[in-house]
Amino acid sequence: MSEQNPNCKDVMQHICESLGEDLESDKCVAIKHHLDNCPDCQKYFNTIGLTIDYYKKYNVRLTDDAHKRLMNFLDLSDCDK
Amino acid sequence: MEETKLIELAKSGDRQALASLVKNNEQTVFNFSFKICRDRDKAEHIMQETFYSMIKNLHQFDGHSKLSTWLYRIVSNHCLMMARKDKSKSFVSIDNDDELYEDRYTADWSTIPNQNIENDELKKILDDSINKLSPEYRIVFLLRDVEGLSTEETAKLAELSVPAVKSRLHRARAFLRKELNKAFSR
Repeated sequence: MSEQNPNCKDVMQHICESLGEDLESDKCVAIKHHLDNCPDCQKYFNTIGLTIDYYKKYNVRLTDDAHKRLMNFLDLSDCDK
Repeated sequence: MEETKLIELAKSGDRQALASLVKNNEQTVFNFSFKICRDRDKAEHIMQETFYSMIKNLHQFDGHSKLSTWLYRIVSNHCLMMARKDKSKSFVSIDNDDELYEDRYTADWSTIPNQNIENDELKKILDDSINKLSPEYRIVFLLRDVEGLSTEETAKLAELSVPAVKSRLHRARAFLRKELNKAFSR
């Protein structure tokens, strides 16, 4: 999926995979056909895709101090080279 | 060294191998913990408890899945336990489909400024929105959509049926999209 603007196929794939549907299934083909002709639905599904994308990209790094506290908590500091 | 070899050595008491397993997975576990609880201190506590559980129960790990998948389950269980203990928090109900989809025709996110994920304002919107979602929905959304597990894997980890995962996933997605849409419309 592209970073800012997932296309309908990206969104379709995501939707159909999560529905447990094959991309070529009647259901997916029908949804794809509807999406191709419905700007409102395209907008809606694009924003669903962007929502997922935002949460995917929002990550946090473990600090060195937190790593040391973890190894200490597990009594593995002596193995931490 | 390969994960399966490290697990084998760790099971036989090799502490160096155990430390390597922890180090290889700590970032994933911390990040996933944070994504569920949206709080660094809580995420660190859950990470510590998760690895403590891993060490205690490593002999039960059968190797049929990746270690990280097993760790996702432990993190999820710890997060759910912590959330259930915290009676002060309440979550919005997302059972009403009409409310979830009522603004479907109004969104136009192409004009939203500051779409960079490093933007603090956007981070706050993302935190506030997902914090309204109950952990049961949050975990399904995060495992399936954010971490990329299959629907079947998610169902197994969350101890839900596949239809229940799909139902929670659709509602969680629609709810989060609606919350972001509201925030972006202000």
